[in-house]
Amino acid sequence: MAGGMDLGGGKGKKSLDVAINLTPFIDLMAVTISFLIMTAVWTQIGRLQVAQAGGPSMEDEQKQEEQTKTVQLTLYVTPTELRLAADQSEFPAIEAKRGENGKLDLAPLVARFKELKGQFPDQSAITLQTEDKVRYEDLVRIIDQCIGAGLPQVSVSAVMG
Amino acid sequence: MPIKAPGKRYGKRLQHSKVFGHGAHGKHGGGNADVLITPLVDMFVIIVLFLIANFSATGEVLMMTKDIQLPDAVNVKEVEMHPVVMVSGEEVTISGTVVGRVQDLVKEEYLNIPALEEKLRDMKKQFEDLHSMAEGNTNAFKGDVNIQAHKDVEFSIIKRVMFSCASAGYNNINFATLQKGEAGNEPTAAKTE
Repeated sequence: MAGGMDLGGGKGKKSLDVAINLTPFIDLMAVTISFLIMTAVWTQIGRLQVAQAGGPSMEDEQKQEEQTKTVQLTLYVTPTELRLAADQSEFPAIEAKRGENGKLDLAPLVARFKELKGQFPDQSAITLQTEDKVRYEDLVRIIDQCIGAGLPQVSVSAVMG
Repeated sequence: MPIKAPGKRYGKRLQHSKVFGHGAHGKHGGGNADVLITPLVDMFVIIVLFLIANFSATGEVLMMTKDIQLPDAVNVKEVEMHPVVMVSGEEVTISGTVVGRVQDLVKEEYLNIPALEEKLRDMKKQFEDLHSMAEGNTNAFKGDVNIQAHKDVEFSIIKRVMFSCASAGYNNINFATLQKGEAGNEPTAAKTE
């Protein structure tokens, strides 16, 4: 059968109708599935990196501030309001309103960040001065918004005095 | 073309096959029913592909407990293997050791948590001893620590935990959060070391 497909059935030739033994394949699949299910991570956990105000990163930030046009940006976080200050000037306070799900409404803060980024595109650092009574969830959401607004170098400190 | 009864129809080549063609033409009522394993294998392949796509080589860095509900965040980085300080509504723990009770910590006026700081110093020393013989700075101590806190914990407790971490040499603090929205959204230049 030169040049053609051997369909089997000829004298002295093996038939092509051979059943592939799928049992080892299915066994391997079963073991693989068991292993992957056991090692699977179902909850997606991330991290938000912060620095402590006054920590070792502050010197680098100061050098960077000198080189680029940036300001000392501080956000005072209290359970009732958020106050943003750039160097000496302070923006009007944002009232801490909560939605139906009890989460802080951060839309006005995001709008203010956008406005500020328009004025200082090189700005990347912000310090959050937080009061003791502020909930961890609120703080994390504010840090998340800061990073989302292009201010990734977030420092956290307690309110002085 | 004549109408044929529903059932298995093999190609011309397999009609006389010993394996596939056996009993396909009118021989009904045999005791051995063929189990179709093709859909089973297909299903296995799909499950394996799905699980491999979701596989995380890092594994589970943080241990999830009922006492700690993490807040949500969008702009997060992938969590890494570092010491984990767990802050629930009742106690502060590190590596399974309770280092303070929240009720007591609220009353005290110290800036740090002494037991936590001591434990972290021990861990730092242990790390440095382990890696002192290694060549290069690839495994140098960077001072990273993960804080896994319940979402309703007040900042007064977090502040003390952070201060203790900084005092012990752990300056790179990472707040653990549940990843919400797009996965792996890497913010630019977020590293402040």
